Amino acid sequence: MKLSRMRIGLSAALVYVILTAMCMSPSSAQHEHEIKTTAAPTVGAPAVAFDLKTLDGKSAGLTNFRGKPLILNFFASWCDPCRDEMPLINDLASKAAKDGYNVLGIAVEDTRAAVTEFTKESKLVFPIALDLNSTVKRAYRIFGPPATFFIDGKGIVRDIVLGPITEERARNALQRLGVAGKN
Amino acid sequence: MNVTLSRLLLSMLWLLTYGCTAEMINPGIPSRSASVRFTEEIHLGDSERNPSTPFLRYAPDGRLFAIWTEDHDQPWPNGRPTGHQHGGDRAPSPLRNALVAASVDDGKTWSAPRRVNSAVEAVQGEENGPKIAVGADKRAYIVWSIPGEKGDKTRANIRFAMDDGKGGFTPARTLNEVKDAARFPIIEFAPDGKLLIAWIDRRIDGPKPRQLYLMRMEPDGQALTKNYQVGEGLCECCKLSINFADGGKTVYMVDREVDGRKIRNHVLRKSTDGGTTFSAPVEISNDGWQVPSCPHSGPSLGRDSRGQLHVSWFTLGRSEQEAGIYYSVSKDDGKTFAPRQLAHANTAPETLYNNLVVGDDDTVYLAWSNLDRDNRAQIYFRTLAPDGRTWSPMQQVSSAKGNASRPNLALRHNELTIAWTETDGEDSRVVIRSATVQR
Repeated sequence: MKLSRMRIGLSAALVYVILTAMCMSPSSAQHEHEIKTTAAPTVGAPAVAFDLKTLDGKSAGLTNFRGKPLILNFFASWCDPCRDEMPLINDLASKAAKDGYNVLGIAVEDTRAAVTEFTKESKLVFPIALDLNSTVKRAYRIFGPPATFFIDGKGIVRDIVLGPITEERARNALQRLGVAGKN
Repeated sequence: MNVTLSRLLLSMLWLLTYGCTAEMINPGIPSRSASVRFTEEIHLGDSERNPSTPFLRYAPDGRLFAIWTEDHDQPWPNGRPTGHQHGGDRAPSPLRNALVAASVDDGKTWSAPRRVNSAVEAVQGEENGPKIAVGADKRAYIVWSIPGEKGDKTRANIRFAMDDGKGGFTPARTLNEVKDAARFPIIEFAPDGKLLIAWIDRRIDGPKPRQLYLMRMEPDGQALTKNYQVGEGLCECCKLSINFADGGKTVYMVDREVDGRKIRNHVLRKSTDGGTTFSAPVEISNDGWQVPSCPHSGPSLGRDSRGQLHVSWFTLGRSEQEAGIYYSVSKDDGKTFAPRQLAHANTAPETLYNNLVVGDDDTVYLAWSNLDRDNRAQIYFRTLAPDGRTWSPMQQVSSAKGNASRPNLALRHNELTIAWTETDGEDSRVVIRSATVQR
């Protein structure tokens, strides 16, 4: 009798331990701080690859821009600082062909219609890609637009500006990309 | 004795299995809650028109109202292009309508939607979506935001319409007296029967960030006041939340502030004269999130029968490791707040959205978005018992193929309804689930 009770007690304890462990699996742990995606983009590290489509349906992946420096600007049509900095980004884009770099805008948390409207209204002269499922935004750790990444022709991040960019900051970033003095 | 031990073993197994539901272990599995059992999903609106941004509000007569936005019907000028990603047969258009429906069975079935905006407008959504309040006279009162004259969403206008008593809505009118300066409106009936409308205003573009503007209105739509400023230093892109006490004499508002260093903590503002003047803001938590960009995720405020104020919000804190949905309570009518509690840490880098409501028994019901194992945003839910310490296990209530965001809760007695937006590529839909909660 005593042995039988002990077996049952042990079984109960075993089941309890197993189920408790299941309950503490990552999805249900209350204070877990695991960040699952790739490491945060840093200066000197390769930029995270992505594959999006522009508003007119063209492919806009990182590899499309290899060989020339790339200014990657994350924005949204509803975002105040994005609108404030957009004339500067557009100005950089207008000089891009002459100075040998590319500019790509990535619209986050936005719709095709709103971004199309914004592009027309702001007379943007550079391609805009739609990150409709937020995958690129997450990979680049954008917790709020705008953010601008300066990526060299080999795909290495050379500068990061979180928040609206200033002319001086843009000039410094372009220097790091090796296109200084041309603007 | 053996029988007793076997029963104990079985009870333990049952409790653990029930308390640790399949959806908690596998977030992709639709909800079967330990504490709250939600109905199956239903969808509001015309799926061809990308319904989005639902907001729920109970009327005093017990009807549950929902408002959301949909694409305005705009056919392709030259036929639908082949291979276009946009769902449905309509061309994508920035023009959106606000739709309202009501439910007499706590969100299980809904009336046919009614369009609110008589003129075709670009009704804004997401963080800046339309809001509804319903009066004792059974009329619905609605505010929404539209872009400014040049199409700029950040220099926008607040529009207002109300039930016209004939089954439709009055023509919309603009509430902000300075053009192209207002967005993120909220509307609520104070217990004294007057309407209070608040928004974030930028008529003074500096030196401090945005201002908090209010106006009061009679239930017949007549303005009781002009626009008036009650605060400044607000984050430019995060919604407000409001609550009342003392028959409308006390008004509480929470918002995300931004200081000169771009640190964005949340504050409570309190009025004891019905919203005419507000006290200096009281910091809810010194999270220290320094961000020069748009979080686009505002706080949520509730008040319980004991007068305690409950607030939830998203912050990144001082590092990504702190990021998550937080909660705090004030037990002294907004003078101080308890140290924040983490309701759910970010599972991956992402801005999260939250909403809370408080039950008659002082239970707090909290819903928010976070990423699942497949890196898709889903809606999660849990409750906090009236003791302020006991959290229920988390439940995943959405099973979005793309992303689910911006949950909104409504609660009346034991009937809880939750709505959210699901997006997948260029398509979106409004999802609703209901539950009877135990007290």
